[in-house]
Amino acid sequence: MNVVRFLLHNQAQVLELTAEHLWLVGISTLFAMLIGIPLGIVIAHRPRLNKPVLAGANIIQTIPSLALFGFLLPVPWLGERSDRLAILALTLYALLPIIRNTYTGICGVDPAVLEAGRGMGLTKSQLLFQVELPLAVSVILSGVRVAVVIAVGLATIAAAIGAGGLGEFIFRGLAMVDNRVILAGAIPAAILALLADVGVGWLEKRLRAR
Amino acid sequence: MPDPATAPVIEFRDVSFRVADTQVLAGLTLQVSSGETLVLLGRSGSGKTTTLKLINRLVSPTSGEVRVNGMPNCEVDVTRLRRGMGYVIQDAGLFPHFTVERNIGLVPKIEGWPKEKIRARTQELLQLVGLAPEIAARYPHQLSGGQRQRVGVARALAANPEILLMDEPFAALDPLTRDDLQREFLLLQQRLHKTVVFVTHDLREALRLGSRIALMEAGKLVTVLSPEEFVKSTDPWAAAYVRAFGDGLESAAKRGTS
Amino acid sequence: MRRWRQFLPGFVLSLGFLLSCAPQHANRVVVGSKNFTESFILGEVIAQQIEQHTNLKVERRFYLAGTYICQQAILSGRIDIYPEYTGTALTAVLKQKASADPSDVYQRVKGEYESRFGLTLGPAFGFNDTFAMEIRGEDARRLGLKTLSQAAGYAPHWRAGFGYEFMERPDGYQGLAETYGLHFAEPPRIMDLGLLARALKDRQIDFAGGNATDGLIPALDLFVLADDRHYFPPYEAVPVVREQLLHDHPELRSILGALGHTISDSEMQQMNYAVDGQHRDPQEVVREFLRRKNLSP
Repeated sequence: MNVVRFLLHNQAQVLELTAEHLWLVGISTLFAMLIGIPLGIVIAHRPRLNKPVLAGANIIQTIPSLALFGFLLPVPWLGERSDRLAILALTLYALLPIIRNTYTGICGVDPAVLEAGRGMGLTKSQLLFQVELPLAVSVILSGVRVAVVIAVGLATIAAAIGAGGLGEFIFRGLAMVDNRVILAGAIPAAILALLADVGVGWLEKRLRAR
Repeated sequence: MPDPATAPVIEFRDVSFRVADTQVLAGLTLQVSSGETLVLLGRSGSGKTTTLKLINRLVSPTSGEVRVNGMPNCEVDVTRLRRGMGYVIQDAGLFPHFTVERNIGLVPKIEGWPKEKIRARTQELLQLVGLAPEIAARYPHQLSGGQRQRVGVARALAANPEILLMDEPFAALDPLTRDDLQREFLLLQQRLHKTVVFVTHDLREALRLGSRIALMEAGKLVTVLSPEEFVKSTDPWAAAYVRAFGDGLESAAKRGTS
Repeated sequence: MRRWRQFLPGFVLSLGFLLSCAPQHANRVVVGSKNFTESFILGEVIAQQIEQHTNLKVERRFYLAGTYICQQAILSGRIDIYPEYTGTALTAVLKQKASADPSDVYQRVKGEYESRFGLTLGPAFGFNDTFAMEIRGEDARRLGLKTLSQAAGYAPHWRAGFGYEFMERPDGYQGLAETYGLHFAEPPRIMDLGLLARALKDRQIDFAGGNATDGLIPALDLFVLADDRHYFPPYEAVPVVREQLLHDHPELRSILGALGHTISDSEMQQMNYAVDGQHRDPQEVVREFLRRKNLSP
């Protein structure tokens, strides 16, 4: 098969672009978790904040990704290095699933369990780390899974602004009108998305509270 | 000067609690003495659960004062207050992601007990509540309702608190299991002499388990009587309760196994 | 809590793996290029020279879609060298106004790139791919036209065609028309760059705005009018290279030096035509050119 031969022949570059892609996805998902999980916890405990925060994350989600890249290009510091910009944009897009699932997961903890914990004299942070988070972790991870799959797809567009990654093959293939090159980018990207979905899904199942 | 030996362990001084437009409790004044089992009896909405929660500050009064061991409980660090009390609720509220052993051992662990001591205590408590030692490694979803509730009691007793707060702990169980657990509760009390505040709507249970019964209706304390006094009471509310529960209550009123 | 400890080694491993994906460098040179024929021919020239004369592995990352993307790639170290044009670097990257003097433009770009980006320029390849205003060869000979000033007089009788970008740029058609007083019979037609030469030959238009090194110029007997008023800034092709690379591999300096002024306008036109017009393999075309030129540091 032509594509397979092409992939094997250019494996160094395929691996390099895949590594760049993973870097973009990994770092932005990590940032989104570092911001989104605490935010989700806060709005689960303070219901009044939940509407504005979720609405804000929702609005970001509706901005078309290429447009968001375009808006951010003229911003000083950010626009100077497209990988910074891409990571920021990818982080923003990963926020909604993570915040929303953290919120749902924490709200879904059985109130009787929480009351028992409080009545036993667990402090707020003990309650959070020993009861709420472990019970919500499976739902939170499912949000992370969605975020990662979205990020793998969006990162292909990041190549349009020069952030590297597998999208570079796709755009190159389009310019050369060469399907093999397009697929050399699209297929590994699709495989990455699948692997992430299955991998995080497995983790979810292992950690699902009984 | 009140005699320290008879000073109340828990005291309500003219406590009221209001939420939005509802007066949940009004002018509650009540004492609980050391070693007694005070039953808060009433129907839903009578304010009995709120009264219980005022003791461990899950709820704070709108006016009035709740005292535990002579100190207003709002002046004590709430974590220390709660760790000194066992809290048992309906359906046990066991942590589903912890084994029975970790459930029971949680408070001792955060209080810094050494591992060995916790393990020994867990085994001791399992025996006390009538559960086999193998149960320690099981998860709550693998237990029956009765077993779960026993674990709940064991968990509440783990750090050896002097006070036990129990909110309709046996209400969700089938009558046979309920009977077993009530019997075991009485045996436990004979051994441990904890100060217990027990909430229920079941008069039979109240008569069997309580040393005194505090009848509540619409947020007010109606009367506080011993079980024998209660079944003979002429108070309209008490009498209504007795009528509602039918015959054969005198035997339940005589404490001890039946 | 114990369950978390099970996952800790897995988590640390993934974090380590993730960090290793961060862009870095191995013992190789990555040559980039933009996504048009001339650019990847130049990229190929650089790549083959390095392969021929050093032990370094060369990776080609061609077809990057534009100046911004190449700039980003070289700043982040994803590529090490790529061919750029001095005029483009000055106006599009450094956002300054260009002058007409090629060496002035070259020096300014080199200076700014070195001080701001840690990049430097190799010597120019030798041709100037500036905008070329073309007319049919027969018309040039018949009317004795050599410069744009001379041709301006005939503009009212002619139809013109330009690419989209040239029409839109402020330093494109508007400035040209003002500088030379060009008034065409109708508003110029906007066409795809690739179709301009043919349209000129087929008499659909009489005046076209193309590129100086376009391979079809000699092939279709087209004539490039001289920019006597120096309206267009110089677009000398130069290799842009990361200073760190030259620091790590000083032998590359002489290689890039050896490529200086080796490609004339017409030689570039010929190579472009070989690839675009004759559909020959770019690597072959470059190999042949280098052999012919017998280039060695």
